[in-house]
Amino acid sequence: MKKLIILFLLFTIHYSLFTPAQAAEAPKRIISLAPSMTEILFALGLEDRIVGVTSFCDFPEEAKKKQKIGGMSNPSLEAVVSLKPDIVTMTTDGNPKEFEERLRSLKIKTYVFRARQIPELAQGIREMGLALGIKEKADALAKDMETSIDKLKQRRSSIKKKKVLFIVWPDPLIVAGPGSITDNAITIAGGENIAAESKSSYPKYSIEEVIHQAPDIIFIGRGMSQENIREVSKGILKRLKSVPAVKNKKVFYVSDYLYRLGPRTVKGVEELAGYMEQQR
Amino acid sequence: MKIRMIIIILILMLIFGISLILGPRIINPFFMDEISKEILFSIRAPRSIVAILMGMALGASGAVLQGILRNPLADPYILGISSGASLLAALGIIGGMTIFGTFTVPVLAFIGAVATGSIVGMMGWRKGGFWPERLLLAGVGLSFLFSALLMLMMSISTDEGMRKAMLWIFGDLSMSEWSRIPYGLIFVAAGVVISASRAKALNALILGDEFAHSLGFSPHRERFILFISVGLMTAASVSLGGMIGFIGLLIPHMIRFFIGSDSRVLIPASALGGGALLCIADLISRSILPPMELPAGVITAIIGSPYFLYLLRRKNVLSI
Repeated sequence: MKKLIILFLLFTIHYSLFTPAQAAEAPKRIISLAPSMTEILFALGLEDRIVGVTSFCDFPEEAKKKQKIGGMSNPSLEAVVSLKPDIVTMTTDGNPKEFEERLRSLKIKTYVFRARQIPELAQGIREMGLALGIKEKADALAKDMETSIDKLKQRRSSIKKKKVLFIVWPDPLIVAGPGSITDNAITIAGGENIAAESKSSYPKYSIEEVIHQAPDIIFIGRGMSQENIREVSKGILKRLKSVPAVKNKKVFYVSDYLYRLGPRTVKGVEELAGYMEQQR
Repeated sequence: MKIRMIIIILILMLIFGISLILGPRIINPFFMDEISKEILFSIRAPRSIVAILMGMALGASGAVLQGILRNPLADPYILGISSGASLLAALGIIGGMTIFGTFTVPVLAFIGAVATGSIVGMMGWRKGGFWPERLLLAGVGLSFLFSALLMLMMSISTDEGMRKAMLWIFGDLSMSEWSRIPYGLIFVAAGVVISASRAKALNALILGDEFAHSLGFSPHRERFILFISVGLMTAASVSLGGMIGFIGLLIPHMIRFFIGSDSRVLIPASALGGGALLCIADLISRSILPPMELPAGVITAIIGSPYFLYLLRRKNVLSI
């Protein structure tokens, strides 16, 4: 056990000391191991240098045309190696740590994106820019994001705090809990997430508790199954019919911007803020 | 024996009552505001009834199957019925199907269960007989196939789709509502009544086909009837709320310890015991970490298995 802790500490120190320092020259062949990474790389204008993405990287449209290297939790080591990347970008949120270790043992450079919540996003992008040798562009993107978020924060003071529930999946009821990007977004947009007290970021939530907590607004993430989410939600909305949000028709279906921490996240916050402002 | 049956019925009723009052918040049944009334009548009551129905189906099916397969390890899931149900349900969840509206997943699960049950039944039928070993092996074989297909589907789906499917497969009672109960009730009641009415034949079958024959029962025919009733109960149970482990396998053994192995009592008592255990496990799963809910199947095994092992230490009988 002790050994493990020491190993873990060594790794952490190793990362924090060396990852940013590897920024010597700009890598030419980049592999992305997460949809959010792909989006950030595209937003930084690195489209031409991306040589591989996961099979879940579907945004922007051009990402779908890139070579696929497998899934997020099970990327193919062979596919990654055979693409001869200069650097592999990955996240702590979905990519297995062992995969990163394997890559390192094969002398493949990696960059691990550590930001997991909105307040850390801009800084994460700055550090990534440093590692990829495009500091200015990354700084500009980060600055942009910070400005938009600040603007939203200023606007919220004029909104009366509303109780909000964000449904990630209606059957069974999974909601956005503390530590999720969506929870950050609700707070930034000036709402109060009624699920903030639960113990995991995407808890299976008690329907009784929703009725007790009586949210004023319910958001339902359209997610990937865009066409039929309304159909699937009918059951849960029927059961929540006495809740103010449902009674007053304050149930909104929102895009999947908030499911990935990347360039579209800010848009996702703006979307929530927009609906919440209408409710003044 | 009568007294013990009455005790089990009373325990079940008591647990049902408690499950209505307790939960993430306690409801005082004598002073209820609008919200409490709504929670009690349209959320807790249907949920507890579904839990009891599922538990009854699993308990009774387990008792019957252990008898017709003459195997103390048999449980309703060993015939592959649940893996067929899970496969179709996961397909519906991951594929985002809505062909039957909000009933899509339960209906798909039921279809999967019945289809699998029929295949197993056909494989078990050979040379004008209905053979327990063939049933068992066909069930195990199909289970492996369907589990592999399920895993294949999960590994190519997104993490989001996988999580949703997993939650369903682990057993989820949170979406129980009144509209699902009549369907469940019909199948579970039919299954329990049919199997209880063939209990005498089952007693004879356990002692051997020749013995059953000499008592005037046709072993293959009796097995077939019992198999159908088990299939219906299991299908209904899986479709009501996914897979719940432990109950079908161990409740019949626990009932044998307490009441005895006469099928005439064992079947109804296993049904009642299964219902009681699942109802209390569901109560715990929704109350212990509010506002989160845990899968009820995890709780049944966590509270049930140690108790079962304790009984196994104390008593020295373990037969079918």
